[in-house]
Amino acid sequence: MATARPGWSRRAQYGLFFSFIAVIAGIIVGLILLTLSLVAPQQFDRVRGAALDLTAPVTGGLHEVVATAEGLFSGAGNYWDAANQNAELKRERQAMLRRMVEAKAIFQENLQLKAVLQLREHERGTIAVGRIVGSSFNSPRRFAILSAGTNDGVKIGMPVRSPDGLVGRIIDAGALASRVLLVSDRANIVPARLLRNGIPIIAQGRGDGTIDVRPLEVGRNPFKRGDIIISSGTGGLYPPLVPIGRVVKLDDDGAVALPMADPATTSFAIVEPPFEPSAVSDNTPSTPGHP
Amino acid sequence: MVRAALTPTRRIGQAPWRFAAYVPAATVVAATLLSALPIISTSGWYPDFGFLVLIGWRLLRADPWPAWWAAPLGFVNDLFTGYPLGFSIALWSATMLALDLIDRRTMWRDYRTEWVLAAVLIATDEWLQWRVAKLLDANPPLSQMAPPLIISICVFPLCAWIVSRIDAWRLGR
Repeated sequence: MATARPGWSRRAQYGLFFSFIAVIAGIIVGLILLTLSLVAPQQFDRVRGAALDLTAPVTGGLHEVVATAEGLFSGAGNYWDAANQNAELKRERQAMLRRMVEAKAIFQENLQLKAVLQLREHERGTIAVGRIVGSSFNSPRRFAILSAGTNDGVKIGMPVRSPDGLVGRIIDAGALASRVLLVSDRANIVPARLLRNGIPIIAQGRGDGTIDVRPLEVGRNPFKRGDIIISSGTGGLYPPLVPIGRVVKLDDDGAVALPMADPATTSFAIVEPPFEPSAVSDNTPSTPGHP
Repeated sequence: MVRAALTPTRRIGQAPWRFAAYVPAATVVAATLLSALPIISTSGWYPDFGFLVLIGWRLLRADPWPAWWAAPLGFVNDLFTGYPLGFSIALWSATMLALDLIDRRTMWRDYRTEWVLAAVLIATDEWLQWRVAKLLDANPPLSQMAPPLIISICVFPLCAWIVSRIDAWRLGR
């Protein structure tokens, strides 16, 4: 196809013409598929799930190697200055124990108050536990690959958290692995509130590993550096009281927060059922931000 | 005399490899599969390896594969990198077409022209990704696409060099 005319051979000329047509057809098919995946993304759920399953064993296997290598280095670092660390940990443990007793008392009181109010709360179970084994490389979107799939009961739309905080929600599910829309993605908006004073805020990813947080009510900037953001459970998709991020920088009418659950260092992630199951079934067909 | 003419002139082990025709496409798929590596990027600054290798091959040779192969290769890229399905199919086919048209126009080429061409193609790729993300309610500022763009452009010569080494190997040179 390098020259305008390959010579006097009819066969070569036709070959050139048909390959030209085939490329145009490729572009058109691509555009149609792209339009479909923008308008009706759930069409391709099965294909995308199958692709995830194909790479899951490789990704999962290599992850063990990387984790072991990292563990060797950080493990060696832990022995450095062990005596001082030990003393400090003991002090911290004492302080934590005192706090825990207080918390237990508050928990008991909370139960009694809820019983008085006859507040019904859904049982929060664990659907599956997986590892975060990969992520999107080159994309303005932030996805991660989780090593648990529909075989473990994972469904599209379920929230994912780690012991440290909220990770995101499932957007593609294969049998062995699934894709998670991280809280740092631009399309992921989480209703949240400030732990310090309970002011309702909106947390939206910034696409570069950080989260943008804004108060719902316009006015004075309520944030301070070091503030903890927790989910509020509004909307019913994400469970309430899960830590989302820590404020690191203030700007004009909001702040920038770092996710508490850094996907790069999170070892285990827990898939939970949606807080209000009806929220997902209503939302999924029109969930914005689904690839 | 006759016997000497009949003996093959080429040296043993210097022939093109048996599956030489499929090597370019296979390397593109391999580059795409790099996204299965257990590297967790919170910034998304890694290059689009599949696309870099694709244009690396296409700039090196006019016919590394039949032009329509770009569509299935793009499909594989979409599936494994998590782009919206159809994005790479359309972009990669259009890239093949654009480079064919450019091939007709250009009289000569050198290393720098190819790098500029690759830079333009990579910039188009990043810009389209930005447009598509915008359509999907993720609305990143355009400035956020600058670091991956610069990194991709800087990585391209390395990709092109690797591609040329693989090309020499597959042809047994």
